[in-house]
Amino acid sequence: MAETKEKSLSDEKPKPRVRPIVRLGIFLISHSFHVSVVCCTAGVLALFLLPVLAKNTYISENALMPGSASPMLSNQHVSDGNRLVKDLTNPNSKSSETGIESHKIIAQYMLDLGAEVSFHKFHPQMNQFHPLHFFSSPDSGKIQENYSCSSYGINTVGIIRAPHGDGKEAIVLVTPYNALKSGFGEALSLGIAYSVFSLLTQVTWLAKDIIWLVADSQYGEYAAVAAWLREYQTPKFSSLSTPNAEMCPDVNNLFELKGHSISGSKFSNSFRRAGTMASALVLKVRDQNEQFEDTISIYAEASNGQMPNLDLINVVNYLAVHRQGLRVNVEKLWSLLNSSWLKSLGEIFESLAKVAKSLYPKWKFGIPATEYVEGTATLASSLYYQALGVPTGPHGAFRDYQVDAITLEISPKFSLDKVWRNDILLRGGRLIEGVIRSVNNLLEKFHQSFFLYLLTSPSKFVSVGVYMIAFAFLIAPLPMVAASLYVDANSSSNCSKGDSSTPSAITDTDEHSIAIRSWRWLNSAKLVFIVHLWGAIVSLLPYFISQIPDCSPTTSFMIWVLLSILSLLTLNSVLASPLACAKATQEKEWALVKSVTISSVFIGLGLMSVINFATAEIGALLMVPMCLLAQPLKLDVRAGTLRSFCRMICNLVLGHIAFPPAALFLLKGMLDGFGNANVGDFWMWVESLWAWNSATYLFIVEVTYIFSHG
Amino acid sequence: MEKVKKKIGSFSFWNWVTASIIFRLILIYFPKNLNLSSRPEVSTPLTSFRRLAEGYWLKQSFMSPYAGSMYHGSPLLLSLLGPLTINRIEGQPNHLLYSLVSVIADVVSAMLIRATGQNLRLAYLRSLESLDLVKQIEVSEFLFSGDIAALIYLCNPFTIVACVGLSTSPIENMAVILCLYGACSRLIPLAAFGWVIATHLSLYPAILIIPVIFLLGCGPDSPPRKLFLQRHQQKEVLNQSKLPPRFSWGPVIHFAFWAFLWSVYVLVLCGISLKQFGGLWEMFKSTYGFILTVEDLSPNIGVLWYFFAEVFEFFRNFFLIVFHVNILFMILPLAIRLRHRPCYLAFVYVAICSMLKSYPSVGDSALYLGLLGWFVNELADMQFSLFLFCGYVGVSLLSPVMHNLWIWRGTGNANFYFATAMVYACLQIVLVVEGVSAMLNHDRKLRNLITGKPQDAKS
Repeated sequence: MAETKEKSLSDEKPKPRVRPIVRLGIFLISHSFHVSVVCCTAGVLALFLLPVLAKNTYISENALMPGSASPMLSNQHVSDGNRLVKDLTNPNSKSSETGIESHKIIAQYMLDLGAEVSFHKFHPQMNQFHPLHFFSSPDSGKIQENYSCSSYGINTVGIIRAPHGDGKEAIVLVTPYNALKSGFGEALSLGIAYSVFSLLTQVTWLAKDIIWLVADSQYGEYAAVAAWLREYQTPKFSSLSTPNAEMCPDVNNLFELKGHSISGSKFSNSFRRAGTMASALVLKVRDQNEQFEDTISIYAEASNGQMPNLDLINVVNYLAVHRQGLRVNVEKLWSLLNSSWLKSLGEIFESLAKVAKSLYPKWKFGIPATEYVEGTATLASSLYYQALGVPTGPHGAFRDYQVDAITLEISPKFSLDKVWRNDILLRGGRLIEGVIRSVNNLLEKFHQSFFLYLLTSPSKFVSVGVYMIAFAFLIAPLPMVAASLYVDANSSSNCSKGDSSTPSAITDTDEHSIAIRSWRWLNSAKLVFIVHLWGAIVSLLPYFISQIPDCSPTTSFMIWVLLSILSLLTLNSVLASPLACAKATQEKEWALVKSVTISSVFIGLGLMSVINFATAEIGALLMVPMCLLAQPLKLDVRAGTLRSFCRMICNLVLGHIAFPPAALFLLKGMLDGFGNANVGDFWMWVESLWAWNSATYLFIVEVTYIFSHG
Repeated sequence: MEKVKKKIGSFSFWNWVTASIIFRLILIYFPKNLNLSSRPEVSTPLTSFRRLAEGYWLKQSFMSPYAGSMYHGSPLLLSLLGPLTINRIEGQPNHLLYSLVSVIADVVSAMLIRATGQNLRLAYLRSLESLDLVKQIEVSEFLFSGDIAALIYLCNPFTIVACVGLSTSPIENMAVILCLYGACSRLIPLAAFGWVIATHLSLYPAILIIPVIFLLGCGPDSPPRKLFLQRHQQKEVLNQSKLPPRFSWGPVIHFAFWAFLWSVYVLVLCGISLKQFGGLWEMFKSTYGFILTVEDLSPNIGVLWYFFAEVFEFFRNFFLIVFHVNILFMILPLAIRLRHRPCYLAFVYVAICSMLKSYPSVGDSALYLGLLGWFVNELADMQFSLFLFCGYVGVSLLSPVMHNLWIWRGTGNANFYFATAMVYACLQIVLVVEGVSAMLNHDRKLRNLITGKPQDAKS
């Protein structure tokens, strides 16, 4: 883009002979309207083509060698696991108020296997948005609030030291478990993990330590895992920490009990560590299921659209499908599955592919329409969850420390007989064993395969090189239109000057126009800068508002709106009343403002596409038309033609739709009827987003700011 | 960055200066959260605050400050700034005193830039007057380039970041500006002092000796001498007093004498402070040697680290020579072409150095962007200004993002970060090329005004 823009600018005064590339640049800019329409359409079309262009996954790291060894998990281990499940589901174990009993049972089982066991006590930490922590790395410097002893969780951690390893690396197995109200599924997942664990204590091939974390999920699965990881990765060296869980009598009691009942060096009160984590698996078993076969769902999205290495998903997929005969699926947007327009689109693509194939037999890119619809649904959910920036499970906590992790959720076809239970224990256990064995083979951390991809099915993916094309098409009009507006604004001022001035006065007027011309955009840049500044202030406000105690979402939202308007007015008065200045300016000036705005949007979208592609893509879909269509209402009203009227309507509609509260309101309205939507929801939504430091949040500000221009 | 320009009408200069100082002080109170001093863009091995503190600590414990290849700055900085690295005031941020020194250095630089800019503007007006162009070019429209340059320097995010990020570049920049200020206002000992200190601190300002000699020899920037001759030929009265002075060797020799004196003084001071630790040779080896051999390959916004990380060991010396001769190659042609505008020449040299130096940081860009403000009147019709502005904004945002992807998220790699470094270098090249061509165009326009030719679009 720089190329075209540069070329265009260099040719404000056309010379007789121009180089072809310059001529191309001029052509593009002079036809920027048509080009941008074509580019935008191509961008949207390319987005819909992505499921067709998806490639089959392949295991790129040779060292993984999934499924090369036959599984060693035998019925012996399965019956061990069964024993644990029975003990946990036994009503006696649930007698205790805090569920300590079941943790003791688990710890006892681990100790019996010869693993090192420790308890990790944590206080559930709410995700606090801190504006200045946004860009810094995860750190331990979080200030502990004063906790009461009533709310704490206990993670049980078992570690197997690898017989051949040097203790420098580890693989983590996580099973969320809520001791207070555990369903049968959670017990079953513990059973699977236990059977694998019991196998791994005996095998000789283990080169990495195994950590089994039973995460206490009574305060949410994510919080427990995140608390443990924080402790693991950022050791506290000072003993000055504020009163923590150790002070509470209840917990100490637990330890004493343990100390008495178990006399072994394997149990310790202190926090135990193994090496750096190579990867992590979160294992869950779903309670209810209406499916007809055993399926396993993979959740991979971590915070801010980060994905684990594709190889990890590949290994799981390969082992589940080809070794254990489980059906693998990833999250889909179910509402899209039944949409007829998507189906017809798929059919169009299919028939196109058929035509292409008949023309030239080597062109084989078509996929069946049903597959296309499924791929699109998966892709849409993949985009949605990446764009939202909220992790889809406890695995998200690992990604913050550069550990590749996924959540496996096994949903068995439900029946309660023992054979079935043994079967699911055996197959699930063998799957986990296979994955661990593969990861165990790794010599380096995962680096071979992709980190930036979108899934269209468990075995198909769209890599960064492909989906970036769609995005590039979509935002290509921005620099072009910006350049053409800029050139227009400059040349029009020249023309008017040229007409009015006689040759004798030409030097004088030229002097004027030159002094203004080349730096005239500074004024518009100032305006854009001020609006951005306002956006930044508005986005920081919720942090301060959330400090106010006892606020219902609706009131805090109102406070937010009020403060935002107030800050705009203040900025307006302090910084030389930029908006009034903009109103007074003429058409040309307005074109410059638009040009600067569009360039800033282009920079913003480009940045966002590097940070979080999905957000950038969705944002570009909204903002690119908005930017290109934007035109002052006054001018449109004055023009009074049909075309400008249509454009005005478009602007108003787009401006309102893209304004985030309005967008959410519409979405909510569509989903559950307009009756129960209120502004408080928006506050909750925003709160949940900033709690996760989501990039989407930054984006909202951007959109807000564009809106204020409209 | 350059937005300030238009605001001058409504806001007084001093308001903006106070605002920028207050902004710095606010930022100084959040050093932990911003974590700027560990950013590769801000602190290079030469300007890092942590390394300074380490060197001071080593020296305090009677070891050579250059032990362990941690510190690579001047021993004088250790004596002057070192104590500030450990002094603390209760209840205040850790490095408050040191930060205050940086803020003061910035303000002093800005004031010097302002004074120099006023000098330059007066000289420009004087030369226009002697060319009788005052009527044709509306002098009343002229912006106060000194104020603008000072404000650009003070409000530039790069300067602020370098100041708050505790790097030593504010001090280095101050030395360079001191040198130019001294040369412009013909304070020869001051100019010599600035030049010696700037060279001592970061080696590259050594090439500023050429603009300084021109400045001292012929006075500050003016249109080419040829124009004056042409003007007076037209009028057929050769008024010697209106001609710019010819090159005079007196001040230059004076300057050389002072430069010699100051460098001996500085070397003696360094020698005393390093007496037990290997003497001056050790200092040269680990400061100038470290700069010239590009030993530290940790990423920065330059392009050399990546290249020398990839290059084969036996080609290394060859390419070291190639890269450094690159700067030297450009000295002579530019000096010939721009000899009538020594301050502009200095700007171009500083920009080229900050592009090709081995450990560049944003502090260097801050310096040349500030100097660019001197020439707002001459560069009014510079092309690509919006493009360059957007480019600088984009790169300065993209660079931390790429670094984050590479180092913290692990999804990117070194190429991601290096790509932004390349874009940054290209931007600087475009800036220099466009700036020089705009300046030459300006001279051409003046010539056309004198000879009475209609303005043609030749560029």
